[in-house]
Amino acid sequence: MTSVCFYFEVHQPVRVNRFSVFQIGKESSPYEYFNSQLNQKIFEKVANKCYLPTNNLLLELIEQYNKKFRISFSLTGTFVDYCRQHMPEIIDSFRSLVDTGAVDLIEETYFHSLSGLYDELDEFEEQVLMHKYMLKDLFNYRSTVFRNTEAIYDNRIAKKVSDMGYKGIITEGTEKILGWRSPNYLYKPVNTDIKVLLRNYTLSDDVGFRFSAKGWVGFPLTADKYVGWMSQNQGDLINLFMDYETFGEHQWEDTGIFDFLRHLPGQVLDKDHMDFVTVGEAISRFQPMGEIDVPWAISWADEDRDVSTWLGNDMQRACFRELQDIGRQVKDQNDPHLLDAWRKLQTSDHLYYISTKGFEDGAVHSYFSHYDNPYDGFINYMNILQDFKQKFI
Amino acid sequence: MRIAMVGWEYPPFKAGGLGTHCYGLTRGLADKNIHVDFYMPKTNKKVTSDNPNLRIIEVGETTVFPYDRPDDKELEGNFFESVYRYNDLVVEKVKGKYDAIHVHDWLTMKAGVQLKEKLGIPLILSVHSTEYDRSGWLSPNQWFIDIEREGMQKADTIIAVSHFTKRICVEKYGIDPDKIHVIHNAVYPIDEGEKQDLVLFLGRLTIQKGPEFFLHAAKKIIDYGVKPKFVVAGSGDMLPKLIRTAVNLGISPYVIFTGLLTEEEVRHIYQIASVYVMPSVSEPFGITALEAISAGTPTIVSKTAGVAEALSNCLRVDFWDVDEMANKIISLLTYDELHRTMAKEGRREIDLFTWDRVANKTLEVYKGVMM
Repeated sequence: MTSVCFYFEVHQPVRVNRFSVFQIGKESSPYEYFNSQLNQKIFEKVANKCYLPTNNLLLELIEQYNKKFRISFSLTGTFVDYCRQHMPEIIDSFRSLVDTGAVDLIEETYFHSLSGLYDELDEFEEQVLMHKYMLKDLFNYRSTVFRNTEAIYDNRIAKKVSDMGYKGIITEGTEKILGWRSPNYLYKPVNTDIKVLLRNYTLSDDVGFRFSAKGWVGFPLTADKYVGWMSQNQGDLINLFMDYETFGEHQWEDTGIFDFLRHLPGQVLDKDHMDFVTVGEAISRFQPMGEIDVPWAISWADEDRDVSTWLGNDMQRACFRELQDIGRQVKDQNDPHLLDAWRKLQTSDHLYYISTKGFEDGAVHSYFSHYDNPYDGFINYMNILQDFKQKFI
Repeated sequence: MRIAMVGWEYPPFKAGGLGTHCYGLTRGLADKNIHVDFYMPKTNKKVTSDNPNLRIIEVGETTVFPYDRPDDKELEGNFFESVYRYNDLVVEKVKGKYDAIHVHDWLTMKAGVQLKEKLGIPLILSVHSTEYDRSGWLSPNQWFIDIEREGMQKADTIIAVSHFTKRICVEKYGIDPDKIHVIHNAVYPIDEGEKQDLVLFLGRLTIQKGPEFFLHAAKKIIDYGVKPKFVVAGSGDMLPKLIRTAVNLGISPYVIFTGLLTEEEVRHIYQIASVYVMPSVSEPFGITALEAISAGTPTIVSKTAGVAEALSNCLRVDFWDVDEMANKIISLLTYDELHRTMAKEGRREIDLFTWDRVANKTLEVYKGVMM
């Protein structure tokens, strides 16, 4: 028996305004950093292309297959804030999904931040608790599975998350940690007791990245063909983790991505030896097959599958240092507005835009970025950090 | 393959990117065993070639300068006459067996068209700039436009130095886009030097190059409290006006007008500059940006420059947006990490801009037109 574990990351960052050196130190409030107009516009666009239609389709499929089609989501805090502000009906729609009992929610840092890489983990813990309270509050849900920002993972994070009471954690099934071993089993960290779910990146990226790539040998990808590939996989479970925006946004409707999704559950359930599990079910059903040792952080991002996506160049590291320095001092001030602004600035996307990686990864970065290039991203973000420091600390 | 190429300037006699291009291209082609005869006016500099595949042939004298503009009514008659005389000379002097004729820009277009008819061989036209660029899109001169249009129409194929220029050929001159190939320019890299607190403008001081925007950005930067030296290198008809502007803005203690620099001095100033700014109103390519970046100098280019479409590691601004220009210059002078990363990544990218690549692509165009 091989179980298919579908999990979607749902995230929108809080993009910032144009901010020049001439604005540094001028009278303004920290809320003026954020480009609410642009953010609303992008959010509504993605909501209509992806969130609403995909939620509806998934709900329909869960009912059609009598809850044998099972999935999991992580909703970042910044995403949920947009829903609350602009389209509360999306929260209702996720609530209907959760209420079926066939959907798990996953916890993470509220701001989709890199706080798991800070020198101290107090901010990380606070953001995880914020996210936990949000799930409790909105969905009356308590999760046992954790996924850190973009699946960033190392031994220290695993230990911390385990100490906070989680039973499972998600990361990338990269050869860096697996060697010859298969991602299609659970593993456990060398230094603590928690079950690790590993993304099957080949099969995940077949949908997330390659679905509409005309030059790819698998093109065009049908549910039939894809499930055929899956059924040839050995192991307990196949973890298919991807951006939720794959459906309708990264892959537009006219690529046939929704038809693909519509036919997928039936194809899987037709096979005698295959079924679906949520992340929570996966960790209670299966036992770890071996240990993994991850002293240096990995992630699911870029070809490098490490944290160079956010901390790969001097500019990114300089901003990261500033951000941490500011935090130490913001926390002493006890000003909730200031703290909130600092936390929105921690969203990993701000550093993602400053990546100078070339070629294929660079193309992906610029797809997501609203800046002309990483240097513009740095100037703007660093100007804001300098202003924050000068004005409020 | 034997090519008759007609140009106007060639190092050490040169005034702009056209000369640099002809030098790099002809040597690149000669290295590939293409025989090139390069025809140009007689100059007082000694222009020679050390490659047996490449001959430099001087055809006579001319008083015309390709970047000159006949603004002066009195000069006008002489100017046009002189252009015709040079073209007639070229038609007379180009003799021998060639597979194609390749001309550069308006000054040699008439000769190109006549030679194509006389010799019955294909004509290739490289467009390095158009009248719209040189006039900064303010009252372009119809006389040039007519020559350019005729040349573009009669050429069998056109090489444009950027998509930016290709678009102008299509939209303003009505040329079939399928006839135009884009080949971006290249650079002979300059060594990196010890950086000084110096922001550089380098180019002809004409309306096309936007030097006054550089001065207005300098004013903002000085008012902000950052006070590097601002160097305006080059000469041109706007020099007196620019000096007055610097005085009126009250920034003359920080601005140095160098006048025309020698090649050696140009290399040196690129090496020591911390930031290079190219605020051109309309720039078909802008080889100077490649030169600056090759010397490890982070570069800000106008969005209306061909080089802006070819480079990843540069900053882009609207030429009129002096606030943003100042923002970017200050950032480069203040944030070490930005300066370091741009210098490093820029130098890495520059390795892709070789004259060998330009020669290869040009050769493909030759082959296409000879089929």
